[in-house]
Amino acid sequence: MAYVLRRLGFYLLAAWASLTLNFVIPRLAPGDPASAMFARFEGRVQPEAMVALRAAFGFTEAPWYVQYATYLKHLLRGDLGLSYAYYPARVSEVIGTGLLWTLGLAGCAVIISFTVGSMLGVLAAWNRGGWLDAAVAPALAFLGAFPYFWLAMLALYLFGFGLGWFPLRHAYSHDLEPALSLTFAADVARHAFLPAASIVVATLGGWMLSMRNTMVATLGTDTLRLAHAKGLPPRQVMLRYAARNALLPNVTGFGMALGFVLSGSLLTEIVFSYPGTGYLLILAVRNQDYPLMQGLFLTITFAVLAANFAVDLLCLWLDPRTRAHA
Amino acid sequence: MRAALWALTLLLVACKVEPRPRPPGVLFVSVEQQSAWVRNFNPLFAGAGSRWPTRAGVYECLEIFTPAKGQWTPWLATGHAWSEDRRTLRFTLRQGVRWSDGEPFTADDVAFTFKLLKQHAALDAGGVWRFVEDVRAEDPLTVAFQFSRVYIPGFAELAQQPIVPRHVWEEVADPVTFTNPRPVATGPFTEVTVFRNQVYELGRNPHYWQPGKPAVSALRFLAFPTNDQANLALVEGEVDWAGNFVPAVDRTFVARDPVHHGRWFPLYGSTVFLYPNTTLPPLDDVRVRKALSMALDRERLVEIAMYGYTRPADATALNDAYAAWRDADAAQGAWVKHDLEAAKRLLDEAGLKEGPDGLRRKADGQPLALDIEVVGGWSDWVRAGQVVARDLRKLGVQAQLRTYEFGAWYARLQKGEFQLAISWSLDGPTPYTFYKWQLSPRTVRPVGEVAASNWHRFGDAEADELLSRFERADSEAEQRALMAAVQRRYSELAPSIPLFPNPSWGESNSRRFTGFPTEQNPYARLSPHAEPDSLLVLTSLTPREP
Repeated sequence: MAYVLRRLGFYLLAAWASLTLNFVIPRLAPGDPASAMFARFEGRVQPEAMVALRAAFGFTEAPWYVQYATYLKHLLRGDLGLSYAYYPARVSEVIGTGLLWTLGLAGCAVIISFTVGSMLGVLAAWNRGGWLDAAVAPALAFLGAFPYFWLAMLALYLFGFGLGWFPLRHAYSHDLEPALSLTFAADVARHAFLPAASIVVATLGGWMLSMRNTMVATLGTDTLRLAHAKGLPPRQVMLRYAARNALLPNVTGFGMALGFVLSGSLLTEIVFSYPGTGYLLILAVRNQDYPLMQGLFLTITFAVLAANFAVDLLCLWLDPRTRAHA
Repeated sequence: MRAALWALTLLLVACKVEPRPRPPGVLFVSVEQQSAWVRNFNPLFAGAGSRWPTRAGVYECLEIFTPAKGQWTPWLATGHAWSEDRRTLRFTLRQGVRWSDGEPFTADDVAFTFKLLKQHAALDAGGVWRFVEDVRAEDPLTVAFQFSRVYIPGFAELAQQPIVPRHVWEEVADPVTFTNPRPVATGPFTEVTVFRNQVYELGRNPHYWQPGKPAVSALRFLAFPTNDQANLALVEGEVDWAGNFVPAVDRTFVARDPVHHGRWFPLYGSTVFLYPNTTLPPLDDVRVRKALSMALDRERLVEIAMYGYTRPADATALNDAYAAWRDADAAQGAWVKHDLEAAKRLLDEAGLKEGPDGLRRKADGQPLALDIEVVGGWSDWVRAGQVVARDLRKLGVQAQLRTYEFGAWYARLQKGEFQLAISWSLDGPTPYTFYKWQLSPRTVRPVGEVAASNWHRFGDAEADELLSRFERADSEAEQRALMAAVQRRYSELAPSIPLFPNPSWGESNSRRFTGFPTEQNPYARLSPHAEPDSLLVLTSLTPREP
């Protein structure tokens, strides 16, 4: 329990640090958002409006510590402010348009990729030199080495544009009303297939290789030799003894990957026009939309921290050694 | 395992579903590139991320300017008149106009809208309260603007202001942060029938003042986050009307269905310039600026940077929206023609002699080195910058292209902390705004202070005198004579180096709708970005019989 509390304390500290960095970093960047916004009009707004624009966005010349205090106070109230790029929409509302879609798409893709990849890794290590180990692993590593963007475009072109099996964009058909119905679910699945599949294909090799390598090392240990010698069924040895021990590094990696789901699916969303948060992030950076940037960074940071905390707990259960230290 | 099989089966079944036919009469438009829609229909705040039709289909203005004809089309107002002393402008409003909730539209709404701009300076994008003193509804159909000085160009700012209903907006606590989710307006499309993150739809105004219009039953907007996605949808026939940059448009789009696929890229966009920082020697010397200009092969430049969609700028730097204003003499200025020998002679004259290594030397013996600044991701300008740098090197100038992230680039441009930079110009219904921000000392800010335009920091008293007289000139002949004089002055001084006018991008697919503007029928700009022209287009389109 003390261990869990210690970890929790660490994560709280990390959360505060990220809050602060989140406040500082955008303010170090050159340029200012009112000018950036003004520039988007390329001459369609009279320059005289700029002073007024600045005032409307609430740009203050207040000293940094006053701004920082206001920032923390608003955060505690869960108020992320108004987005500049989508002014006057609330940041929470803007993030809300995409958060679920990103979580759904990238979350599922990472889980599938992790599960399938780890399983393949176990099998490959168990049957070392077999076709899985000799052919599939290098093939997946090869696919994973392609730039993701290119792989996704290729998938879009072949299966979407060329063969017409999958829709070219969006998360659901534009003439369907989102509803809890089989038709809608099928439509969402059809739209998610290509983007999810391309993420899975691009990352599967990594999970498989790392699982295979740790597994091979584990298979050489005395514990495993003893298990064999005791005459335990091979299936049990493979899963309960070898795989469970070999899983640790992959689980740690999984925690990281889950956290990056929100930001990492940026390219997917661009290629497939998926209405997620990744694209919002680019837009926020381009428009120097501090509130939106901060809102997104916070969401992502907290997701990483939460996922890592969950992984810590999982490791505690998987690995007796962590418990011994606790 | 069984769940996985079930999911797979579901997927395969789903794949078999045929695409549903599109509802007839629904116009698919692609103007904004967004990954997800945010519901905002505030027409007043220019800084707002309001949805495109807000200022071009939902709300309307008093009169609409059409560059192709150089004319004002009466809209919510049937006409206007100046008082004898040019200090009062009266608009006569159209009879029988109603708001989409059935309430009548009156002069009171117009006066109220402008008073809102006065109370909330952030809403006054046109800066009308710099020259307007007061606005009054004299009777239900007459609204009078009292000017603080004679300022004829102010008419355009007043005529194109979107008007909001008083009975709705007087209840709004803060019109700057109001997202106006259910607009009440006078435009052809006011009813938000669908609003989701990927798609929204606007239906017809039940009380629209033009009988029988619009013939289109609804506008539908799909979210396309990138140009590539929007272009794919256009090529596939999924979009009926678009305003996107399409590379090699004739081959990739028009040729696919020459009967229905149309594009019209008139050169009505802002002019792209190579701005020299005129506070720095030797760029303060007109001979040097003209020499740099003459070194440029603009024919190649527009071919390489702009796919040949535009033409080299002439010596007035005006785009084609001002064709009627262009002074033929001023346009003939030789300093925008490619002539490397003449350019070299000019540099010799300016005292920038050629060194033994072929590089031009400044008075202190240092080689003349100039940085050209552009935004990193803007590929057309980056290509233009590369051509410019290469041409300048032929002149013996050590020209380097420097790319910056947008924020950094724009900050340097505004503060005048650059040597050469590629950027746009400011435009209005007449060339007045354009030249004011090219030439007027009133727009010059000191280096280090943010300037909204006139980044090259050039002011000329003689040109300013002409522009000031233009503000008071109300006869067309006088206006034209003054503007011609301004153009000759511009061409003489070469304060900035014009490269090419930007096309205004517009593509149409007439498979389902007819009546799009074309080069032969230029009743409005095809580009949906050219607000408020879209009001003319949206009320002219007719669905084809199924």
